[in-house]
Amino acid sequence: MIRGSIRAALAVAAPAVFAIVIGHTDSGRAQSFDFARLQTMVRDYTVVLKIKVEISFGMQTNEQEVRLLGTIVSSEGLVLFDGTPVSSEQHGSMSGMSFRITPISIEVTTLSGRKYKAELIGVDRFTQLGFARITDGGATRFVPVQFSLNQQFKIGSWLAAYMLLPEFVTPPVAADVGMISSLIESPEKFPLTVGFGGLEMASVLYDERLTSVGVLGALMDPTSASSDAGGIITGAGEGDVQLLGVVTGERIQKLIASPPKKGEDERSWLGITLQALTKDIGEFLNVGARGGIIVTDVVKGSPAAKSGMIVGDVIHEINGQPLEVDMEEKVPIFQRRVAEMAPGTLVEFSVYRPHDQIVDTLRIVATLEKAPQTAANAPSYESKEFEFKVRSIVFSDYIQNNLEVGSLSGVVVSELRPSGLADVGGFELGDVIQRIGNTSVNSVDEAQAAMARIVADKPREVVFFVWRNNKTMFVNVKTDWKLQ
Amino acid sequence: MRQFALVLMFVLLIGLSAVGSTGSLQSDIFRARDMVLPALVHIQPVVKDYNTGELKKQAVVGSGVIFHKDGYVITNYHVAGKAERIICTLSDREQVSAKFIGGDPPTDLAIIKLDLSDYRGTIHVAEFGNSDSVQAGQYVLAMGSPLALSRTVSGGVVSTKDRFFSQEVRLPTGEQTGNFNLWIQTDAAINPGNSGGPLVDLNGRVIGINSRAMMFANSIGYAIPVNIVKEVVHAILTDGKVTRSYIGAHYQALQEMEEYFGTDGVTGVLVSSIDAGSPAEQGTLRAGDIIQQMDGQPVSAHFVEELPAFYKKIATLPPGTGINLRVQRGSDTLNLAVTTRLLGDLLGEDFECAGWGFTVKGITRQMQLENQLKDSLGVFVEGVKRSGSADDGGLRPGDIVIAINRQDVTDLAGFVAQYNELTQARTEKVLLGIKRGGSSRLVVLKAAAKEETTQND
Repeated sequence: MIRGSIRAALAVAAPAVFAIVIGHTDSGRAQSFDFARLQTMVRDYTVVLKIKVEISFGMQTNEQEVRLLGTIVSSEGLVLFDGTPVSSEQHGSMSGMSFRITPISIEVTTLSGRKYKAELIGVDRFTQLGFARITDGGATRFVPVQFSLNQQFKIGSWLAAYMLLPEFVTPPVAADVGMISSLIESPEKFPLTVGFGGLEMASVLYDERLTSVGVLGALMDPTSASSDAGGIITGAGEGDVQLLGVVTGERIQKLIASPPKKGEDERSWLGITLQALTKDIGEFLNVGARGGIIVTDVVKGSPAAKSGMIVGDVIHEINGQPLEVDMEEKVPIFQRRVAEMAPGTLVEFSVYRPHDQIVDTLRIVATLEKAPQTAANAPSYESKEFEFKVRSIVFSDYIQNNLEVGSLSGVVVSELRPSGLADVGGFELGDVIQRIGNTSVNSVDEAQAAMARIVADKPREVVFFVWRNNKTMFVNVKTDWKLQ
Repeated sequence: MRQFALVLMFVLLIGLSAVGSTGSLQSDIFRARDMVLPALVHIQPVVKDYNTGELKKQAVVGSGVIFHKDGYVITNYHVAGKAERIICTLSDREQVSAKFIGGDPPTDLAIIKLDLSDYRGTIHVAEFGNSDSVQAGQYVLAMGSPLALSRTVSGGVVSTKDRFFSQEVRLPTGEQTGNFNLWIQTDAAINPGNSGGPLVDLNGRVIGINSRAMMFANSIGYAIPVNIVKEVVHAILTDGKVTRSYIGAHYQALQEMEEYFGTDGVTGVLVSSIDAGSPAEQGTLRAGDIIQQMDGQPVSAHFVEELPAFYKKIATLPPGTGINLRVQRGSDTLNLAVTTRLLGDLLGEDFECAGWGFTVKGITRQMQLENQLKDSLGVFVEGVKRSGSADDGGLRPGDIVIAINRQDVTDLAGFVAQYNELTQARTEKVLLGIKRGGSSRLVVLKAAAKEETTQND
C-alpha cells in the first residue's frame, strides 16, 4: 500500500508512465477495475473535442487549435470538458492589455468514430468545467454518462479515468488509476486524489464498481474564484493552488440542469464588500460566532442596501446555516454561496450588529439580483480607423478607481493598437472618454455614432475629452485618412 | 563600438587642446572654478526613511554650496529634507556639522546652516547669477560629490534652458516636485551625489542647483534655475518656509487645441481639469475654459513650457487673494472670481508605531485630493513592516486608520496620543478601524512590543 501511494504520488508528475508501471507491477487493487467492460461503456459518450480558438492579446490575434477529452452528459448532446483553455477571463479591466480567447468552431468525435459539430455554451467559473452543445445531431438521442449522486468517498479507495493521448495515437485514450488521498472539508468539500494529472482534467472518474462518481477537477484556489468584478469583491491574498480531485455528481447535475452561459453572467450578487470575522475581531466585537462575514461596504442601490444591511454588520448565518468563515482565505465560501443562487432568490441572513458595547441580533432578508456586468462581458466597440476599442463602464471600474458607483460617465478605452492613431495621439488604456469632438458620450452606442460621423467627415484631428487618474484632459488625435 | 569611442575621444582632445592654445576659455574655467569651488560643500546627512513600516536611518551623500557668510548652504530637499543629523566637509576638508533650516519639496530645495563655532578657516560664499540670461550652448561647470567623490568639477554646456517634464516628477520621499519651474538641462556629467551642488557659468556665478540626471543616459542632467532658488531662499530665510496658493485647476498647453476651441490667434491658458471642492470649482471655472486674462493682465500658455510659469503665477499670490479671470467658454466670454487657498504641506508628518509595526503620516489636504479621500480624518498608513503585527493583522500601505479600539482618530496628534497610551499600558490586542478604498475594515494588532520586551529581559 505504501509503495502504491508513493508511485501514485509520482504519477501526478508523470501520469503516462504511471499508467504503464501500474499495469505491470501493482497487485490487487488496480486490477479490480473491469477495464474491458469500462471500454465498451464509454464508447458512446466519451468524445475528443477539437476547438479552434482565436486568442487576442491587446489588439493582436491569432488562431489555435486545442484538443480536449469530453463527455456527453445529456441525451440532447450536451458535452462537458475542461473549460480552462477556452475560458476568457479578462484580466485588469481599466489597465493592462486584455487577454481574450474566443472559440471559433468545435468538432466532437466519439470514441466510436462519429463526428459532430458543436457550439460553446459557457464555462463555469467555479469548476472551470466547459459546456458545449452538439448542433448537427438532428434527432439523435445520445446516450449520456449517468453520474451517481450522494456518493460516499473514502480515503484509500481507487478511481479510474481515461486520459487523452496525442493525436497520432490510436485509440486516442488510455486508462489510468488514482486514489482518494484526502477528504478536504474547507474551503469546500472536495475529495482529493493522487495519481491523476492534467491529461485527465474533466475526465469521468469511476469507482471499482464502474459507477461514475464525478469528473476530475481542481480544488479552486479560493482567491481566484472570487470575482474581479462579479459583484462581490474580496481583498483576499494571492496564491495558485492546483489540487486535483473529484467534482462530484451532484455539482455536475446542477450545472447540467442550468449550464453556464457564454457572455452572459447569470451570477447573483448582494452588493457588499466584505471581510472575514476572525476569532480576534469576534472577541473585540463581542459576537460569539465561529466565523462570519463583516460587511465593509454596501453598494448603493444593491440588494444589500435595499435589505437594510449596513457597514459593520456581521453575517453569521445564511438560510439558517452557520457561516464558518474565520479567515480571509475562506471569504470565497460565502461569495460562492451567494453567486451560485439564482437571481431573484430570497436569502435570509442572520446578522449581528455591534454598536456602543451592545450587539443587536437581526434577520435580514435580501432578494438577490443579477451581478453587474464584468469588463470582459461589457458591450464594446472597436474603431478600425482610430485603432482602439472602447467598452462601457462597469461596476468594477468604480471600485478599482475608488469612485462612487455611477459617478463617472463615458466609455473606457479597453484596447489600443501599439503605435496606432489613438496610441500615438496620447491615449492610455483605462482612459474614460467623456467627449468625442463636441459630442458627449455616455455609452458605447453613442461612441460608435460619434466615431461614425468623424469617419464620414474626415477631419485632420479629433479632440477627445478624457478622464484619467481622477483628472480630466484633452487628447488630440491626428488623423491620417490617406492611410485608410 | 570601441573604435567609435576612440574616435570620439580623439575629437574631444583635439578640441580641448585647441581651446587651450587660445588661452581665454581655459582661464575662464579656472576663474569660475576658483570663485565657486571654495564654497562647495560635501554633505553627509543621515536621513530618516519611513517607507518600509519602520524608521530606518540611512547615511547618504549630496552636495551643496555656501551662499551666505553665516554658513547658509543651499542643497536639495531630497538630500537634507529628512535629515536627522548632517555632517559637512568644506573645501578645505574640514568637517563641521550642520542643521536643517527649511525646505521646499515643490522645488526640491533645502537650506542648511553650518555650525561654525569651532571652525577656524575662512568661509567662502558663492554668488547667484541670473538663470533667465542663460543660453543653450553656453559653457557651464557642475561641482559636487558624484558617487561621493568630493570636490569634483565636470564641464559641459547648457543643453537647453527650458526643459519641461510632462510626466509628474516625485521626490524619493513622495512629494510631487517641479510643477513651478522648468529645468536647465546640461551635459556636464551629473551623477548621484551631485544633488544639491551648483551649476556654474564661466563668470563664476551659480546659475542652477543640480538635482537630477536621466538614468541610463549619457550626460543628461537637470538643474533648478537659480532665479527660482533665489525666491525660495528668500522665503525660507524670511518665513522659514515657502507659502503658496492654489485654486485647484489644472492646465494644458493650448497648442494643437486651437482649432478645436476656435481660438486661432487667441492667447490664453486652457483649463483641463478641476479638483472637486476646490476654489476653482467654487468659482465655476470649468475644464475647457480658456483663461485669457488674470486681473486684467493677459496670460498665455501656448506651449507646455509655459505651464509652470502660470502655475507659479497663482502659487505666488498670498492665500485668500481674490482673482478675476476672464475666460472664453465656447463663444462666450465670462468674468469669474476665484479666491486662492493655501496650498499647505504636500505630505503630513511621519510617525513610527514601532510596537505595532507600521508607519503613518498625517493627512494633508493635498493627500486628501490625491488619494480621493472624502475628508482628512484619520492617519495615512505609509509603510507596513514585514511580518510585524500590523502585517499579520492585514494592514496595508495606503490604508487610513480611522479608529483605535472603536475610538475615532481625527488627526496625527490624536493618533500618537492614543498609540502612546496603549503601548505604555502594554495593551495586548488593539482593534484598528480602517478605510481601504470605499470600504471600512477591521484589523486586530497583537502587540509585538510585549514580546520584544520579554526577549530583552
